[in-house]
Amino acid sequence: MSLPESFFDYETRLQRCAAGERRALRELYEQEAPRLLGVAQRIVGDRALAEDVVHDAFLKIWSGAASFDPARGSARGWMFTVTRHLALNVIRRTNRDIAFDEHHEGWADAVDHDGPLQAGRLQACLEQLEPARRECIVLAYVEGYSHGQLAARLDTPLGTIKAWIKRSLNALRECMG
Amino acid sequence: MSSTTPGDSPEALDELAGEYVLGTLAAEQRAEVQRRLENEPLLQAAVDQWEQRLLPLTALAEPVPPSALLWKRIERSLGGQAASITWWNRLPLWRGLAGAGLAASLVLGGLLWTRSVAVNPPTYVVVLVAPQDKAPGWVIQASNSQEIQLIPLGAFEVPEDKALEFWTKADGWQGPVSLGLVKPGQTLSVPLDKLPPLQPNQLFELTLEGAKGSPIGKPTGPIQFIGRAVKVI
Repeated sequence: MSLPESFFDYETRLQRCAAGERRALRELYEQEAPRLLGVAQRIVGDRALAEDVVHDAFLKIWSGAASFDPARGSARGWMFTVTRHLALNVIRRTNRDIAFDEHHEGWADAVDHDGPLQAGRLQACLEQLEPARRECIVLAYVEGYSHGQLAARLDTPLGTIKAWIKRSLNALRECMG
Repeated sequence: MSSTTPGDSPEALDELAGEYVLGTLAAEQRAEVQRRLENEPLLQAAVDQWEQRLLPLTALAEPVPPSALLWKRIERSLGGQAASITWWNRLPLWRGLAGAGLAASLVLGGLLWTRSVAVNPPTYVVVLVAPQDKAPGWVIQASNSQEIQLIPLGAFEVPEDKALEFWTKADGWQGPVSLGLVKPGQTLSVPLDKLPPLQPNQLFELTLEGAKGSPIGKPTGPIQFIGRAVKVI
């Protein structure tokens, strides 16, 4: 059973990990493993591979706990960052072909008002992007699409996709500060 | 994009950081960014900001319950890693650290004793320790919420082209705020009148920055000492 994140002290548990307390890692695992596995599986598209990623992520969280800097971001966010980048490394190295039909249709709608993003700055800023560009951002971040895969999926020239992403990132940065 | 170099404009760095976090870089570009992150605090800071901006998108992936075997695998792998982490379990080291902690308490007690004669007793105390070995390096005391004193517990070498920068961040703040540069071995009084009153658990840290301090107003270099405010009565 995982607690709402606002009641769970991730940072203290990371400090306990840094002090060699394995139980703290277990508590982090119980709190976030399902969500981390969900994130990894969306990107690598395969359950067993996703479990490998989460396995590696927890080893990295354990060994990196001492050098975690709370001034640079939240402890919870860091756990997701570690997991996502391991998953992205895997798919970029293996050049995985995405089985399009296994993935969600209409990510552009996922960021609508009632979606799981809740009301937040990112939500509001994503809504200001055109739907196709918004979909690029979400497909890339959540599903790990490369430029080429986005071009195929959206039936749009590669150069256009690259320009969309560049401009969307600029717009998000301006909007979010 | 992979042709960018350490002399990149802030815009180019930010673009590279954004695409890295978004995940759209090819394998070799990703590997290059990951290599550069170790030595380029500006790139690291840009990446940190993008991670924070885009993090809410992780909520779009539904949770997947892990198999019962996954934790066992992790535990087994940690066991295999024992060689690299056993120093945590070495008794003499802990004795040494406990000794260092005791030393800090004694020093702190001495400070409180000698300095509290004429002034109000401090209401907050922070012991700043080195993140790796937990050795105490500085204490902060605040006898009111408008000013704090940073007091060194020993000598600390800073490379010639570097400076120590002093930061604080309370829960709920957007990011850390610089309290200025600190010379090793000197007691420093810092007015806090531009900031909200001190809070329990408020984070303080000293990072190693370029000679003029962080160029972006956020910590970019490695943490040298870190601690949190504890209220004392």
